[in-house]
Amino acid sequence: MAQGGSGKKTANSLVAMSSAAVLAVYAAGYTRTRSAAQQLDAQSAERRPANQDPSRGTPLSAEARPAAATPAAGESAAAAVPAARAEAETAAVTATIAKVPVAVPAPEPPAPTASVAAQPFEPSAAPAEPKVEAPTGSISAIMPLTPAPVAPAPVAPPPAPVTPVVAGYKDGRYLGWGTSRHGDIQAAVVIEGGRIASATIAQCWTRYSCNVIAHLPPQVAQRQSPDVDFVSGATQSANAFYYGVVDALSKAK
Amino acid sequence: MNGASPARTELAMGTLVSIGVICSSPEAEAAIERAFEWFREIENRCTRFRESSELMQLTARCGEAVPVSAILFEAVRFALQVAEESGGAFDPTVGHRMEARGFDREHRTGETIRSGVEAAGDVSYRDVEVDPERGTITLRRPLTLDLGAVAKGLAVDAAARELAPFRDFAIDAGGDLYLGGFNARGEPWSVGIRNPRLENELIHSLRVSNQAVCTSGDYERRTPAGVDGHHILDPRTGMSPPAVASATVVAPGAMLADALATAAFVLGPEAGIELLERMGVEGLIVTGELKRFETRGLGSVEHINVA
Repeated sequence: MAQGGSGKKTANSLVAMSSAAVLAVYAAGYTRTRSAAQQLDAQSAERRPANQDPSRGTPLSAEARPAAATPAAGESAAAAVPAARAEAETAAVTATIAKVPVAVPAPEPPAPTASVAAQPFEPSAAPAEPKVEAPTGSISAIMPLTPAPVAPAPVAPPPAPVTPVVAGYKDGRYLGWGTSRHGDIQAAVVIEGGRIASATIAQCWTRYSCNVIAHLPPQVAQRQSPDVDFVSGATQSANAFYYGVVDALSKAK
Repeated sequence: MNGASPARTELAMGTLVSIGVICSSPEAEAAIERAFEWFREIENRCTRFRESSELMQLTARCGEAVPVSAILFEAVRFALQVAEESGGAFDPTVGHRMEARGFDREHRTGETIRSGVEAAGDVSYRDVEVDPERGTITLRRPLTLDLGAVAKGLAVDAAARELAPFRDFAIDAGGDLYLGGFNARGEPWSVGIRNPRLENELIHSLRVSNQAVCTSGDYERRTPAGVDGHHILDPRTGMSPPAVASATVVAPGAMLADALATAAFVLGPEAGIELLERMGVEGLIVTGELKRFETRGLGSVEHINVA
């Protein structure tokens, strides 16, 4: 046995270390959705008020779009840049890992569902604010999340008022990301003849299955608008999809 | 899993994983789904059986400080700590020896995966370095990490956190159990420890709540390579230790319980129990002759950890 001696001390260290490790892993998985949740908290409340007037709804211009809805820019690791995924992920994560010997919820993406992360490793950007989790010896800490924003992207004012639904998009296939408290969705929109020919969910990085909103994509083409239905019990996913379509359409201008 | 109504079962980490919540609800179902996601995610990173896994990518880069994910970092750091505490009885660098003994197949496809690493006979956990400041892992010599004992427990623990809001739940990952709250009758969960020599007989029974129970047994996976032995190796000799038939640990978390069960199994009855007591967890070690060795606290009826 390597270290005899002070029994209680080592005992505590191993027990504490294991729970700290689990905490760090769990928190890392949550960070992304967590920060998104905060950014969007105000926003989603305002974005699609339950009773919208009929004139609502349509592509917000790219400029008007809330910064928070763009997963890419600004956020350190929280951004989802699909292309960069596989390898980049490792790097992104690391930078954020530690600082504190024990529990370090890395401000970093891989949510369980959103299994992979993010952005190419940028040493400067990554460890945004390694927030230190409450010291974690105690196993009873059930939900490890401290409400600290991780990758503070400024919460922009709610989307600017909407423009009418006239088509006039450029033909092509466009991808856009939408963020919600439960994760991100990438929407793909195909424009043909200046009109929305179809919309699909290209990637589902929400913590829940995108099946719950599977009926939404066709509505985009039917309505020639990102204004899909609300889905009771899946408001966040529906919102994320909405944002994704808005983002995609902004590129089709 | 007594009482956890309708448990869902999926194949993960080479074993069947069942998760059940006492009070089912759409939210609970969603949480169970996320719990399974943890298994997939952690397996994807920590498996030795897929060349593309983060673990194998790390293995391929000897001598470099490789930045890794939080999952891999924490798993390795914890494994090294257990190695340290157990004097090397538990050692995550046994990967190449496992390969040599025929434990080299991906559990779903049966495809043989080998790291191709030629490890010197005397590599040990001391050849692995973690840097918490930078979140990197460095393999100082060519070696293959095996996180089997740690990764599964970590997945169970992460899943348990996912389910914590539902209080009463059970996770069974091939013998790595975590039991949250109480069973359907409102009692602490009852966990049987099987007789390592008789498949359908219990040798001990525990009552636990908010605790993990893990058993390392010599009956689980016999070696395919025809060598005498099973899936637990003494890293110090490269052989399967003979004395112990099964080692069971009750601990606050499954990662801890699994790693310590493995270590205790390797150490043998006396040293194993001593390790468990020193670590502040409870356990039961049964030898091939069915002789029992227990930690002092094991008999103290119910092991209830009220969270």
